[in-house]
Amino acid sequence: MKQVLGLALAALLVGSCAPQKKPQEVVFWQFWPLDVIQPLVTAFEAENPGIRVRVEQLTWDGGKDKITAAVAAGAPPDLCELGSTYMPRFLQSGALSDWSAGVADLRAGLRGWEQCMVGDAIYGLPWVLGTRALFYNKTLFAKAGLDSSRGPETWAELQNAAARIQKLRGNVHGYGVSLNDKQKLFKKFMPYAWGNGGEILSAGLDSARFDSPENVAALEFYLGLRAVGTLGMQDALDQEFKEGRLGLQISGAWLFKQIPKEAPGLRYGVALVPRPAVDRGTHASFAGGEVLVSFQTSKRKEDALKLARFLVRPDNALALAMAAQSVQPATVAADTAAYYRERPMQQVLIQQFTTARFTPNHPAWDEMEQAIEAEVEQALYDKKSAAEAVRDANARIALLLGKK
Amino acid sequence: MRTHSRSTAWFLASPWVIAFALFGLYPFLFSLGASFTDYTPLAPSSTRFVGLANYTRALNDPAFWSALRNTALFVIGTIPFTTAAALALAIAVQPAFRGRTLFRVGFFLPSVVSIVVLSLVFKGLYANHGGLNGLLSALHLPTPAWLQNPRTALPAIMAMDVWSASGYYMIIFLAGLEGIPRDLYDAARLDGADGWARFTHITLPLLRPTLLFVLVVNSIRSLQIFAEVFVMTRGGPLGSTTTVVYHLYEQAFSRFQLGQASAVAYLLFVLSLGLAWVQMKAVGAQEQSRS
Repeated sequence: MKQVLGLALAALLVGSCAPQKKPQEVVFWQFWPLDVIQPLVTAFEAENPGIRVRVEQLTWDGGKDKITAAVAAGAPPDLCELGSTYMPRFLQSGALSDWSAGVADLRAGLRGWEQCMVGDAIYGLPWVLGTRALFYNKTLFAKAGLDSSRGPETWAELQNAAARIQKLRGNVHGYGVSLNDKQKLFKKFMPYAWGNGGEILSAGLDSARFDSPENVAALEFYLGLRAVGTLGMQDALDQEFKEGRLGLQISGAWLFKQIPKEAPGLRYGVALVPRPAVDRGTHASFAGGEVLVSFQTSKRKEDALKLARFLVRPDNALALAMAAQSVQPATVAADTAAYYRERPMQQVLIQQFTTARFTPNHPAWDEMEQAIEAEVEQALYDKKSAAEAVRDANARIALLLGKK
Repeated sequence: MRTHSRSTAWFLASPWVIAFALFGLYPFLFSLGASFTDYTPLAPSSTRFVGLANYTRALNDPAFWSALRNTALFVIGTIPFTTAAALALAIAVQPAFRGRTLFRVGFFLPSVVSIVVLSLVFKGLYANHGGLNGLLSALHLPTPAWLQNPRTALPAIMAMDVWSASGYYMIIFLAGLEGIPRDLYDAARLDGADGWARFTHITLPLLRPTLLFVLVVNSIRSLQIFAEVFVMTRGGPLGSTTTVVYHLYEQAFSRFQLGQASAVAYLLFVLSLGLAWVQMKAVGAQEQSRS
């Protein structure tokens, strides 16, 4: 008995003295609340016992500044979530780690690669995507004598629906026209321009294509919506929509999360962005997303890639989209998942991706977007005609192309 | 003994000196150096010396002058009102009366609330269907789109600034008022001076150093207006609320042109110094002419 006890004690001592491998720490900066991301991180750690993930939450207001400062200081995180609008600058800077070899096998299963590629080289993994679609108030549709079972499909139908709702009494507006909202106005106007066949840059991203009859017509249509609606910034328009005072607006998936909490009684529908006519144009929209990247100076690039590959798995991306309720998985055919089949309105947003457009991956994209927004804003305030605004935006884009 | 006391003094001052050197002096000098380069934080290794190019580009940029104009309007449109309101509040809450502390705390409270929180509250108040328009509507008055109209957006932010900053400067004026000997007021009363005469001949002249401090500090703060614009309007509509610091922020963190942004920051620094110098000269000259 004494021998057995002695052996057990010895085994215990040997076991406790044996060098234990310390888990490697991967630093992951991302924008989701911890209750959304932590279950995925915990699952990853369980699957990879040698890796521990330190998650830090960034805010959309200050996150880019923090990432930029960390890159400048040579101390970036190992894995980082970047918004698609950040990508052109980061791609241009050469600060991102080249993942081409490590993600080649994922090409067929994900969409949104445009956001993270320069030529054939891949510098990130598309994780989740976001787009904009037409949200309409079914109650106001019914009050205005419109068919509330479907949204307008063409510009004429949209104009007519907005006009009829605008005529209703009680401080109700037809359409929500976006105003002076940086990085938002663009996403509300360009769907009409793209849908009408308009472009911003040439395919080679080397010349401006904004000054076109298609873009002028789209802007004239957008300006015309002012007469049958109200003007406001996105959060104000969303608020009016939730309060049942706005008939139609282009908005995003975040409303799926907000409406059940803030306006559970609201009867609304979601439709593809209307096309110019039944026989012309497309239901285009803006496409953006969240990309996972690592940096040249990150310490644990391989583990970061392992974590990124885990996060973009269809089931994990879907789990994030379900918890966040404001984005869709970048997984191809995500709309066929049972979750989306049971939620037709959210399914519309995934279907919207088939005709949605990612923004050009040009290093000066931020400034180009600002130029378009500034000129559209001039037209919205009647400082310029649609043709003048489109022409001047084109000139500013051409200047930016010349600079870079 | 002297050596000992000197080293003790340095030891005691070292926490502040180290913090200032790291977080004050170093960034100050770093950005001065960056203003003569094309420094971008995403590719610091490719930084080149560009001489005064960033300064000349900033001075030739219409967006800079537009931002400077908006900033000047903000300074001119807020400082007199903030100063007058703060002084009036200080005079109102100086005498002993029941509930004086409550009023003092109430007026000072906006100064301790985060400016971001205040801006969000005012953004809601100024919304089309917000509290302010609700009140105006009840009074059958027009309900402007405060933050969407280029004519009203900047004044709306100014009004918020005057409201939120007055309480802080009220405390400074209160300290100044407490320093004025009561005997002077008693003597003036005996001589038959009314309230206005006592204010213009005793209060105002003896408050001049405090007034100078408030003017200089408030001017520097107003020239740096940023958070309110960032939260409430993002520089719009039509650039009517784009201030110099917001313009600088856009250059630094939207376009990553930190060299250019540093040059703009130093132009603002020189402007702040100039304005403070003018204010000190103006108030100082009056002081000298009195003595």
